[in-house]
Amino acid sequence: MLETRNLDKSFGAVHVTRNVSLKLERGERRVILGPNGAGKTTLFNQLVGELTPDSGSVHLAGEDVTALPVAKRARRGLSRSYQKNTLFDGLTVEENLGLAAAVHTGNATQLWSDSLAKPEVREIVEEVAEQVNLMPFIHAKVSEISYGVRRQLEVGVALATRPLVLLMDEPTSGVGPEMSKGFHDLLNNLPRDLTMLIIEHDMDLAFDVADTITVLNYGEVVFDGLPDAARGSSLLKEIYLGSWEDA
Amino acid sequence: MFRHNTLRYTALVLLAAGALFQAFTAEYFGLEILTEILILAMLVLALDIVAGFGGMVSLCHGALMGVGAYAYAILSTKAGIAPPVAMAGSIALTGAAAWVIGAIGSRSHGIYFIMATLAFGQMAYSYVFEAPIFGGDDGLGGISRLDLSVIGVDLNDSRSFALFCLAILGAVYGASVLILRSGLGRSLTGVMHNEQRMRALGLTVWRVKADVFGLSGMIAGLAGALAAQHIMYISPGLLSWTVSGEALVVVILGGLGTLVGPLIGAAAFVVLKHELSSVTTYWHLVVGAILIAVVMSRANGIFGWIESRWGGVFDRRLADATRKQEPEEALNDA
Ligand SMILES: Nc1ncnc2c1ncn2[C@@H]1O[C@H](COP(=O)(O)OP(=O)(O)OP(=O)(O)O)[C@@H](O)[C@H]1O
Ligand SMILES: [Mg+2]
Repeated sequence: MLETRNLDKSFGAVHVTRNVSLKLERGERRVILGPNGAGKTTLFNQLVGELTPDSGSVHLAGEDVTALPVAKRARRGLSRSYQKNTLFDGLTVEENLGLAAAVHTGNATQLWSDSLAKPEVREIVEEVAEQVNLMPFIHAKVSEISYGVRRQLEVGVALATRPLVLLMDEPTSGVGPEMSKGFHDLLNNLPRDLTMLIIEHDMDLAFDVADTITVLNYGEVVFDGLPDAARGSSLLKEIYLGSWEDA
Repeated sequence: MFRHNTLRYTALVLLAAGALFQAFTAEYFGLEILTEILILAMLVLALDIVAGFGGMVSLCHGALMGVGAYAYAILSTKAGIAPPVAMAGSIALTGAAAWVIGAIGSRSHGIYFIMATLAFGQMAYSYVFEAPIFGGDDGLGGISRLDLSVIGVDLNDSRSFALFCLAILGAVYGASVLILRSGLGRSLTGVMHNEQRMRALGLTVWRVKADVFGLSGMIAGLAGALAAQHIMYISPGLLSWTVSGEALVVVILGGLGTLVGPLIGAAAFVVLKHELSSVTTYWHLVVGAILIAVVMSRANGIFGWIESRWGGVFDRRLADATRKQEPEEALNDA
């Protein structure tokens, strides 16, 4: 569904992505682990087109999308959430989701109608609000909801474009362990055919949702396999016990 | 996205009542001032749509109004086209010009966008100034007003023309609200908040900007066609960048992104100008001092100040929102 081939990127002398090749099957839920500065976010930026790789390619549903701009990749079914909230602050939860759903349904550039009044938009908004537990806050403004709920909305907005592949950059960063656990339960209840790539800091949390695990260290894939194998890997323990602890 | 609230409705009703009162009771000079306010109000609504709701601070809206005025003048006098058609033509032409400016400018932000629009405005100004068809420095005269005699209205009468402009301003306001509440308007708000995120959601951002800028240009063109009919004579000064600057001052003075505020700003600006210029030739100094005071007060213009002060009296939600905003913001950064 989503594939990278020999992706490589440097910022000046800093080599942040080293020859990364990943392959996600349809419906696969893969977690990316790695210490601070390992290049996880930078990899996401290249996947969605916000950064251009120095070399290598990105393939979505069998097509090479490396040269496609961000918006076009998004319209082909690639959606992401951000590590730091990128919500529309003055708007309500409903309006935030509506903006995304309007783009997906082709209502975002309509002059003759209100996108949020369209049944197809409302349907997506309600469905996503259910999926990520936002129903109780649907009419609240972003400024009126708690940080944890905002993190849920951050993912909700990405989900409201009805993507084929959903990329989530530390969806539970800064959120307490209980709420993180609850959020992973929500992810587990999403449609089984949705392909997910999730950056996660916490190893234990990663095992809640992962079908497969990729570990990045210094921009390089140092592990790619099943959660059980990851659990037993001595290399992982080393990284985990090293720079990881303080995160 | 634009929302009405009780305070905004109240302000609109008061403004409309004031304008109607003026239209029915004022003498010639008062009617001229009223019409000047009404036409400026259309221009600043156009500017508020792009600047207040799209973050596109334009310094070419005066020039766009000038394009509308010249287009109407040329089409209705030299080309001999019937005034209503000439008016439609001038609106369409200005809209198209603005769309192109919006499309080209869509990639730049902040000061660079302002400079790009300024450059377009100056290009239009110098073209109109130099090209012989536009009459150069002498301008163009003999411009006629629409003929509404079929419905028994003589627009050459100041009172009728003021009422006509008031009706059109009402329609422009309604259209502005509809634009901002449409799917396009909602996306525009999204783009102003976070362009990168809207792009990541799959939105073709430049199209949204160009379309809204084009629509705003149509309103500016309409204001221009009416300005040409009002004064019946136009000169290149209409396209001068200072007109755009003044429009921006009015929007900020009134309250950026409130629609109602710029209407108040237009009235305040024109009245102030006429009252003060009869007392002192340095009236710009006073307007400047007021603008500085408004900006320094950190309120969003006159109407923003009114809203933060008395909005809560009318609307619970508004009161809650203004009270809650700050502590929650801190959380967001955590
Ligand atoms: N635009 C940029 N210019 C220069 N260096 C950058 C840029 N973006 C990221 N980097 C560097 O690339 C490295 C990887 O950063 P990245 O944000 O991808 O890490 P990460 O794995 O997401 O870390 P974290 O867990 O802290 O989010 C870091 O050393 C960072 O400083
Ligand atoms: Mg990161």
